[in-house]
Parts: sequence; structure tokens; C-alpha cells
Amino acid sequence: MSRAGAKKGRRLPGAEFSWDADPGGEADTAPTPLFPKYSVPPARLLSAREQLQVDQYRELRERHHEGPYYSVLDVAASAARKGSAARAHFDPFHGMPSYSRRYQKKKRALPRLQGRTYVMKFFPRELWSTIQPSFKGDGAGLDFPVTKISFKRGFEDDDEEEEEDAAKRRRRTDGEEGEDDEAAERDEEADRELLEDDEDAEEEIVDDDFEEDDDEMGGDYNAEQYFDGGDDEYGEDGFGDGGGGGGGGDEDVY
Amino acid sequence: MTSQYATELCSLLIEDNFGELFARIFSTLQRYDRLTLPRLRFYSRLSDRQLHHGLAAMVQHHLIYHYTSLEDGNTYYETNLQSAYYLVRSGKILEMIEDRLGKYAATVMSTIMFLGHAQIAHLETLPELKPQRSHANGVGEEMKEEAEGQANGVDGEHELDELVENAAIHSTLKALAAHGYVIQVRDAQFQSPNDNVLDAQRVLKARPDVKEMKGKKQEQFLLENTERIVKERTDGDLSRGLMFNGVPQGVKRKHSQKPNEERREYVDIDEDEENEWSDDDFGGNSPMDSNLVVRVNYPKLDVALRNRRLVELVDQESSSATAQVYDCLLRRIEYQTPRCRDIAEIPREGEESEQYSVPIRLSALVDDIDPYLDLSGSIGPMEVPQGPARRGKRPLENGVHGDTDDREGQPSSTTNGTSSSSSGASRTYEVDQHLCLLAQPPYNFTSKRMIGGLINWTVEYRHLARKLRHTELERIIEARYGDVALRVVRVLHAKGKLDEKRLQEISLLPFKDLRQVLASMQAGGFVDLQEVPRDAQRQPSRTIYLWFYDPDRVAAGILEDTYKAMSRCLQRIRFERARLREFLDKTERSDVKGNEERYLSEGELKTLHQWRAKEALLLGEVSRLDDMVAVFRDY
Repeated sequence: MSRAGAKKGRRLPGAEFSWDADPGGEADTAPTPLFPKYSVPPARLLSAREQLQVDQYRELRERHHEGPYYSVLDVAASAARKGSAARAHFDPFHGMPSYSRRYQKKKRALPRLQGRTYVMKFFPRELWSTIQPSFKGDGAGLDFPVTKISFKRGFEDDDEEEEEDAAKRRRRTDGEEGEDDEAAERDEEADRELLEDDEDAEEEIVDDDFEEDDDEMGGDYNAEQYFDGGDDEYGEDGFGDGGGGGGGGDEDVY
Repeated sequence: MTSQYATELCSLLIEDNFGELFARIFSTLQRYDRLTLPRLRFYSRLSDRQLHHGLAAMVQHHLIYHYTSLEDGNTYYETNLQSAYYLVRSGKILEMIEDRLGKYAATVMSTIMFLGHAQIAHLETLPELKPQRSHANGVGEEMKEEAEGQANGVDGEHELDELVENAAIHSTLKALAAHGYVIQVRDAQFQSPNDNVLDAQRVLKARPDVKEMKGKKQEQFLLENTERIVKERTDGDLSRGLMFNGVPQGVKRKHSQKPNEERREYVDIDEDEENEWSDDDFGGNSPMDSNLVVRVNYPKLDVALRNRRLVELVDQESSSATAQVYDCLLRRIEYQTPRCRDIAEIPREGEESEQYSVPIRLSALVDDIDPYLDLSGSIGPMEVPQGPARRGKRPLENGVHGDTDDREGQPSSTTNGTSSSSSGASRTYEVDQHLCLLAQPPYNFTSKRMIGGLINWTVEYRHLARKLRHTELERIIEARYGDVALRVVRVLHAKGKLDEKRLQEISLLPFKDLRQVLASMQAGGFVDLQEVPRDAQRQPSRTIYLWFYDPDRVAAGILEDTYKAMSRCLQRIRFERARLREFLDKTERSDVKGNEERYLSEGELKTLHQWRAKEALLLGEVSRLDDMVAVFRDY
């Protein structure tokens, strides 16, 4: 086979397009350095306008954080329900509730939807009962009065309160079920379903966990509740129902 | 913009702003696309209540589209990447609004952002929007002072107070609406664009006259009308009734820097003309409909930000007076431009047709420009020599008189050029000169049009957007590979595909440098090689190798890299915050916050200061990267 590139001498055809920076040189087979020196370009300082922009961003973000929607997934371990997985990660050294905790920024596990008006028609139907628990019927685009936020002293747990809300809601729906039968059956059904789901879920968790507690630790010793005397625990055990809302928060007040 | 890093970035932004629950829902939806509630619960492993509350709040913030199918009755949820991304631009937007419409307007805007969308009636009740502080509009304050002059503690006074407060917020909202920065919320905006298109098609197909059409004709008809219907349904433009002479209400104008009494005087003189839209008469306007629901209009804000970017570029290229003239022109155009592009995607290089913006009459423009701006200082001597000397120390009264003159002549400006005073004419000429300067290559910021014998100026935005993209790319290439690489890329861009030999001849570089640079750029993905075999065997020796530079491809790659860099910055912030968590928790305690000096030690104060500076630097970097994203994606 005659090489077309023969006139170029010893080099193989195509070698002129080699990747190497230096054509004709030895291929560099040495390993590349593990931690090569980087010259990291320093960022320019912020201009006045950029600083303003950043400040505005931070201000708005701060507002979101203070606002009703900011919510995290893992609330403080001590606020977690007894026996839940989060509770197991409780840090007994730094996590004990102390008096100064009342000043600590509270973290929310659920966005709070109460306290402002919503335009219902912009939301899908299945969320209506969440947004406005008292809401019945299909008045699309109706406005609802602002439900007042009740101010608290500051160190109670949000969880507890949400539960109260749920309980209230349950009561309300119960009452209303008796009153109006025909009105908006579909919604009510959905509502009930939802609530049932909720209840089921809660009960399940609670029941399971108490059983676990009993089996594994004999229900006798609980480091986190060393000073509690454990009497309420027995009481709850005796009832064995899902209304653990009151018991869960007892020791967390201070 | 659906890509790995864009998604990651949006989730991080949501987490930064709204917390982990939102981020979990968002990323789950992003991963699995469209889900119903039970499926979403299954994948996200969240409880029912978390999901219900989270979804409702996210819908309120437009972070999620929802769609209830008519066929199976299920509601599907889908992420809204665009509005999630715009969280990063909030700082920029607020700063711009503060710059243009004053501090109070920025507060109103940030409240609307904070609420997602808001009813006007709800905005009226918010305590933070009551204008007790000094705000830039000044008007509400004045009126309030008047109100306070009366006896205190009377019930009637309260009502008056409320009226005054509401007047301030209504006028500000009107100004925002007239600029197009806020729009009305429509039902269809909560559905994803695809759902809207499908819905529109369904409606069209159900029409009896469409049913009768056949094949091609029907398709054609659907194509034409779908867009129209979707537009009708999603359009929430509020600016229609609020424009006056092509200028929105409540514009802060340059002239208003003059002392106040003087302005009042002249307003008294020719009330019927200017008064309607100058910012003096906020109280007199009818309030906005309190049932209206408003939200932020991001596409329009992009237009404003694009104009700002162009003005910055002009400021670099030429004098500041020219930049101000250009700013006025762009401002005028902005009022009539609803969005940056008509099509969703940035078209490919060379497939973009020229699109001129609306033409703006020169005379209207002259009227907008600050009368005290020194126009003649930055361009060469002109036929009318008296310009600069006189303008420097003109007696004030004369100036005012001249202004009134100008303005009175304005509506009949066809004759203005000849009949009004010589200063007006020369000023028009100067403005025209500045605009001519801008029309020069390479940028061609403006272009001139004669319509009916009048001079009009327009802007070719597509060309400029392309130019911005190219300069951005060239900047990156120069920073990474040096000026030799930049020269090579420019040659390749101008000449198309080139053989190495030709490239070397044109770029006048030694072979060795050229190859080094080409190889490293190819490794970085900026240039590439095409093989053109001369025979069927594809032997390397009988193959032509052509180098080429494809700006579209490079830009797409850079955009991805930018998303990635932004999300890395945000992750870094998170990490740094985690390192200081204990300390930051302390500073966020409700008793410490606000009086840090009292409760924190000196060392802690220093740490706090350092942390803030560090965070600002990283956030600033994110916002710079966002500028790049805007250039590559939005403009």
C-alpha cells in the first residue's frame, strides 16, 4: 500500500493532526499529578448595585423564612412524637429543652395556610378542604374572611397546635354532617376520606410505636423521660387510643 | 431548560427560600414529571397533611402547575421551572423597581412576591404597606400631613387616614400595572403551557365548523387558532387603560428633580395637558378594582432587564450622555414590548429574521430626556455653536419658561421643529446625533426610520441579543484560552469552516500556537473538527479536516455549565451555613435579632459580619451568573 503521506518522511499519515501539543515528540505517559496547582481567579468585589440586589434578595428570603410557608422536614427531635424515628435521633446533651429555647427560632413542619385569604378557584378541588377547613359547597371564587392567628407565648411546639387544628376541624365536620346532608356531598365525601386517611395514618403510627416500645424496652426505662415518673405513659397505654396529642407535648413545655 | 443542573438549581433555590418540604415536593415532581396526589405521596414519602399543605402553598406561589383532567377527574401536578428559577432574580427585580419607581413601589412588589399572588383588597389591609415611613412617592405623605393637621383622635380622621393610605397603594399598584410589572392572575396560568394548548385544541375541535374541515385544512386552522386562544386565556395585561401618550402612569421623570414649588406652578399653568399622568395627582385617581388578583409579570421584567443591560453596554462603549439618551429610547420601547421574544426558544444562528421594535418618534423622545442633561459636551462641534456655553449657566426662570414652551408645543410637534425656539430645534438635532452615533457598527444599537416624513428610531433586538451572546462567549473564551484563541474563534466565526492551513493563513499565527490552542479548545468543546473524506475509503490521508465554531452549541453547553456553577454556589452557601449553624441559630434568636450589638460579643459580631460578607459574595456571584443565563436563554 502506497502511503500518500510518504513525502512527509517518516511520519505516519495523519500524524500532523495529532492531539499532542508538540508534534513529533514522545507521548507523555507519566501519570497526571493528583493535586495539580490551580490558580483560582478571585471574584470581583460586589459593586454598589450588586450589593443592593443581594440585600434585596436576602431581605425577601428573610421574609419568606419568617413567613407562614417556610417549613423544614425534620423538626427538632425533642418536638417529635414519642417513639417516632426522629425521636430516636434526639441529642440528650444539647437537645434538652431549656428556658432560652423560647427565644429560639421556631421551625415549622407544615406550611400554615390559615391567616390570609385565598382565591379558591385557582386551586384544585382536592386542596380546598385543606386551604379552608370550614369550606363547603362549590362557591367558586368566593372570598373568605381572614381567620385570625392566635398568638402564642412563643415556645410551644407547632406540631401540637396543628394537631389541635385538626381536632377542631374534625369536630366541626362532625357537627356539620348532622346539619346539612345534601349540600355538596362530593366535597364532604372527599373531606371525610381525607380525614379518615389522616386519622388512620396517625393511629397507625401511634399504635405501632407503643407496641414497639413495650416489646423492646419493656416500657420501663426511657432516658428522655427520666424525670417524668412515667405515669402519663402508663395512662396512655391503658387507653391505647390515638388521641395522643395531649400526651405528646406534655414534657416539652419547658 | 429541563436539564439535570437546571433542576438541581431550582430545587436549591426553593429550599433556600421556602424550606425543605417544598424542595422535596418539587424535586419529586421534577423527577417523575406529572403525578397525581396518591402517586406523589408514594414517591415523596411525605405524609398526607404535609403534601396537602405544601402543595397548596406552592400553588399559591406558582411553583407548581396543576391540571384537573375532565376525563378521569384526577388532578395532576407538575413543576413550574420558570417561576422557580425566577426566585434568583428577585433581588435584581426589586432593585430595579426601587430605582425606577421608588422605595414604596419596591416594597409593594416584594410583598406581592412574598404572597405569591394577592388580591388588591388583601394588599390594602397589610400593615407593612401603610405608608407611615417616608416613601419616595411623597404624595401620600403630603396628604397625610394635611390630615394630621386636623385634631387628633377623631373617628373621621381615621377614615381619612385609611383613604390616604389606600390612595398611596392604589397609585403605586397602578404604576406597576401600567408598566406591566404586575399582571392579573388568570385561571389558565395555573396550568402548564402544554395543557393550555391541548385544552385550546379540544375546544376548537368541538366546534361544528371545525369538525367539518378535513385533514390539512383542519390542522392548519388548529395551528392558527390555538395560539390565539391560549393567549386570550393567559393574558392578564393590566396596562391598557393606564397608558397616556404611550407613557405609563406614575412614571418618575427626570424633570422632577427640580424644586417642588416650581413644578407645582407650572402644573397650575397648563393643567389640562400634563397633569393627567405626572405623578402629582395620585389621590385623584379612581382606585383599582379590589377584587383583582395580581402577580408578578416576569417576562416583562426581563424586557426591562434586557434594556438595562444594553444601556450598560452603551455606557461602556460611549459617553454617559449617549447612554442616557439610549435609556430614554429603550424605556419608551419597553412600554410597548410585552416580552423579549415571540417564540419560546432562542432560534438557531442564522435562522433568525430581523425584527424591529416599535418605532419611537424623535420628538417624543426629546421630551423625555432630562432638559439639564448636557448633550453637546460629548459630541463634536455642530452648526449651532451657542449650545454648550449657554447651557452651562442658564438662568432658572428662562429654563422653566423654555420647558413649558416645549411641552405646550409637544402635541402638535409636526410643526414644532420649525416654529419653536431655536434651543428646542438644536436639542432635537443633538439627540438625533447621539442616536446616529449609536447606530454605527459594530453594535448597531439603533436604526433610523422615516415614517411620514418624521424621524423615528427603532431597535433591532434580535441582532442585539445575538451580539450580546457572542460577546459573552468571546469573553469566556478569552478568559479561558487567551487572546490567540479569541482571534482564532473570531476568524472561524466570520469565515465558517476552515482547513487548518487556510486558518493559519488568515489568522497569521504560527502552526504550533494554532494547534495548541485548537486542541485545547476542542477538548473544552468550543471548536470542533469535521472530516470530509475525498474517497469512499475514508483514509485519513485523503480526508480534509475542517475546523468550525458553532455558537449555538457552545452557548448551550455554557448555559448548562452556568446552571451548574450557580447550584454549586448555593450548595457552598448551605455548607458554610452548616459550619456556622450553632452560631447562626444564636443570631436568629428572637431576642438577639435586631439588637445584635447588645447581645453578641465583639468576636461574635465580627464572625457575623464576615459571614454576611461571605454570603453576599456568593449570592453576588450567583446573580452575575444569572446575568449570563439571561443572555443565553431569555434575551
